[in-house]
Amino acid sequence: MKEILFHFFAALTLLPAFFVATSRKPVNAAMNMLVSFVGLSALFVLLETYFLAILQVLVYAGAIIVLFLFIIMLIDPHKSPAPSLLRFLASIAAFALMVLTGYFLVYGPEAGPYAQLAAEAPASLSRSFGVALFTRYMLPFQITGFMLLIAMIGVIVVSRKDPATDGGEA
Amino acid sequence: METQSLQIITASNQWGALLPEIILGCFAVLILFVDLLMPNLRRQIPRLSILAQLLAAAVLYTGICANCERTGSEVLFGGLLAQNNASDWMRLFFLLGSICVTHIGSVFLSRQSLARVEFHHLVLVVTGAFMILVQSQHFILLFVSLETVTIGFYILVAYRRDSRASLEAGLKYLIMGAFSSGMLLFGVALLYGAASNPELPMAARHPLNFEDLGVFIAASNELFNNSTNLMVLFGAVLVLTGICFKIGVVPFQIWIPDVYQGAPTPVTSFLAVSSKAAGFFLLYLLLDGPFAALGYMTTPLLTVVAIATLLFGNIAALGQRNVKRIMGMSGVAHAGILLMGLLASLKVDWALLAVFFYLVTYALASFGVFEVMAHVADVDDSDQDMDRYNDLLKREPYLGGVLLVSLGSLAGIPPLAGFMAKLLIFIAAFQAGLYWILGVALAGVVISIYYYFGWMRSAVMDNPFLADQAPASIASPRFGARLLMGILAGLTIILGFYQGFFPF
Repeated sequence: MKEILFHFFAALTLLPAFFVATSRKPVNAAMNMLVSFVGLSALFVLLETYFLAILQVLVYAGAIIVLFLFIIMLIDPHKSPAPSLLRFLASIAAFALMVLTGYFLVYGPEAGPYAQLAAEAPASLSRSFGVALFTRYMLPFQITGFMLLIAMIGVIVVSRKDPATDGGEA
Repeated sequence: METQSLQIITASNQWGALLPEIILGCFAVLILFVDLLMPNLRRQIPRLSILAQLLAAAVLYTGICANCERTGSEVLFGGLLAQNNASDWMRLFFLLGSICVTHIGSVFLSRQSLARVEFHHLVLVVTGAFMILVQSQHFILLFVSLETVTIGFYILVAYRRDSRASLEAGLKYLIMGAFSSGMLLFGVALLYGAASNPELPMAARHPLNFEDLGVFIAASNELFNNSTNLMVLFGAVLVLTGICFKIGVVPFQIWIPDVYQGAPTPVTSFLAVSSKAAGFFLLYLLLDGPFAALGYMTTPLLTVVAIATLLFGNIAALGQRNVKRIMGMSGVAHAGILLMGLLASLKVDWALLAVFFYLVTYALASFGVFEVMAHVADVDDSDQDMDRYNDLLKREPYLGGVLLVSLGSLAGIPPLAGFMAKLLIFIAAFQAGLYWILGVALAGVVISIYYYFGWMRSAVMDNPFLADQAPASIASPRFGARLLMGILAGLTIILGFYQGFFPF
């Protein structure tokens, strides 16, 4: 049962992800991405990592997709031209190759015992996340703070219309 | 119970060991406040930034001197970080490099109407992230610091938002950077999945830690008959691919010419020197650490990459007239030589020092060239033809002289440091038995002389066909710039004669 569910949700994650890359309308791409995120969060539920599943829905399916839709709405892009047949076939081949490689890595004759893996939840609770984040991974956490700071400053620098007006002694 | 083990972990969070990085971070925030609250001190911000870096360098150098008898590495932060002599010298390298970048940046920004303090802020943060990157011993820390660097570069490359070339370069760098980060993450995820499998007898406790992962890979090689743990192989290749994108070796060099051309000159120098050096050190950390047992796969792979890089970089640079594209393409060629040295360092002990020496000479010469470029360039610095350097030696003897010394060193002309660096790497490669790459590299050096000399010729000689054009507006270097260029060119000459600073 669990295995069937896994394959179902894996397909639910991968197929829309493929359509994100190939769809010609940006809004369709964003909606496919939403479905893909939902599939991913279901996979997290199967792994009994409920906290990650909730985060996936709240942050990615909720906030990030809305952000994407806002940006799509703001720049109002046109429908991209239809790809040539060759490109279409190539993208399908690449997708199939990736899926087959994944299956070969896990189920292939020379793979390790990955397929029999019992689901084990190393971080099912928000508590274990918090504890790890603020003890063992304190340093990366602090660096992430600086990363967000420069990202914010970068947005201001790149998007400001007329920097000469307040650039100091310019 | 749990609190006790947590206390043990937090006790190893020795923040004091990261004092230079913390100084950089504090000053990065401080200069923002200075800009905001003390407008009359705005002119001093570049100096404040350089002061912060000198302070951090002094602290770091004190630490290096205090630890000079240390052998092996000191693992800190519960296995996230390891400091050894090599990583300490690399940190110093990044600090001194970023001082040059800050100075080139202040020269560049004085001729532009752009935001100023943000540039210095970004350079400080990115430098701190570089310094943590080279000490990382864990994929999470590696990824976080690498992303901090990369996000900083996305912004810095697109810093001239009024210029099409800069924005285009920023977009290209953003897409390629995101793509390569994705590759790296896929690889890390596969490695994590392979190494944390509880069904295997040798499953690692901390699969993302380099040391544990290395132990796992070595053990799994035996279990899987020495070549068939496909998931590990796949993951390792993806991780190496992600890093090869950052250092720009063939076939991952496509972004280099456009990004180098479009980015502001100081950012190009930052990319060319610090980013490349960080990538190579990271490659060394991985090849010598967790992927050591995969040498049967990584060595042939990187050998092919190095040969392709040497050929492509040198041949593609031949047809370029734009000096920033020449620096980009020749940078690809230098990456090939560095990769050769890196492969040699896996077999010959002293070859890592040769690579480090090469990086130092490459940095000195490149910063010299870029500093000159910042003075010679027009307001739009992406469109710099070789003709702009026409007769530079007569018009601005100081700039021309520094340019000649630096280009000569990059080409590897005998009395200069670049020659010694190349020679040392070639000797190391010869000792390691890398004859194929060595042959290609020798041919590449001969080709490289052609395009470097083309640039040098236009700097030395007066092209009569250009005489009727209005002379380009070249900024005369001020005292600080003269001092910095003098130090760079002087060291390039001195290191060509005396390499005793390096304990070969």
